[in-house]
Amino acid sequence: MSGEEEENAAELKIGEGERCLISTFSFAKFLKAKCLMNCEVARILDHKYDQLQQTSDDPTNQISQVFEKSMQYVKRFSRYKNPDAVRQVREVLSRYKLAEFELCVLGNLCPETVEEAIAIVPSIKSKGRMLEDEAIEKMLHDLSLIKKFE
Amino acid sequence: MVFLEVEMAWNVVILPEQLDANGLLLHKAIILRLMDDIANRKASKEHGYYVAVTTLNSIGEGKVRELSGDVLFPVTFSCITQKPAKGEILVGTVDKILKQGVFLKSGPISSIFLSEKMMRDYKYVGGENPMFLNDKHAKLEKDTMVRFKVLGLKWLESDREFQILATLAGDFLGSL
Repeated sequence: MSGEEEENAAELKIGEGERCLISTFSFAKFLKAKCLMNCEVARILDHKYDQLQQTSDDPTNQISQVFEKSMQYVKRFSRYKNPDAVRQVREVLSRYKLAEFELCVLGNLCPETVEEAIAIVPSIKSKGRMLEDEAIEKMLHDLSLIKKFE
Repeated sequence: MVFLEVEMAWNVVILPEQLDANGLLLHKAIILRLMDDIANRKASKEHGYYVAVTTLNSIGEGKVRELSGDVLFPVTFSCITQKPAKGEILVGTVDKILKQGVFLKSGPISSIFLSEKMMRDYKYVGGENPMFLNDKHAKLEKDTMVRFKVLGLKWLESDREFQILATLAGDFLGSL
């Protein structure tokens, strides 16, 4: 098999969407970026908003549209509000050898079943990850407990 | 929606009248100017949307620009960014309903189009309050929350924003 053909075969093994996600993921790694969940961003932006109100002479001028829209969004879609819960979510998820990006997607969307989790983040079920269905189920159970006791 | 915290570099221009012997005031001027610049830049193809500057990490040696007398400071800072990716699963809200499909918005991204062809079993129902309905009575109307997948995206240099095509083809996608 020529080199080119081999490459094509390798590409076929992973779905189109997944391949693109892998590229964002490596982009994050390349920039040494840290991935953040909605609930974490909500806390940072809240703090930033208060800071702007205090320091700036004209606060409305300093708040960009992107900031405002993002703040509305993360507030509406954060599953966890309490700062301790936000910390616990990251702690629980980081026990399962997830990539940063996968961790954030799971923390954001809070799937309820194993099938849903795999549909959202197909890579957790890819070869060599050793993540069995029981492990995924336990992870989802731990997440739902945090929500319950918040 | 996954946000990133990225460290990046920028040059901040400070006008001569803002150069204060008091280091703290100069520091403040640099921070304010940087935040202003980043807010105006809005987004880039490389980094996605710039949401907020979180920390100013270093300020380099200032260089005087000969003609204007402005001083240019190279700085590094951390910024929260959001870059949509093809294949990513996002949550958004319905903004506008047309016969051909719906417009969604999600965080900083304001133009997401979900074509009627990409909605599987949802059918258009016209009237005073138009909506899309499927056979399980799931509704898509204004302000409905929708989980969708990014089918494709395009960077528009003139508007400095991304345009996204969404799809509901896939398991666990649709109205929430």
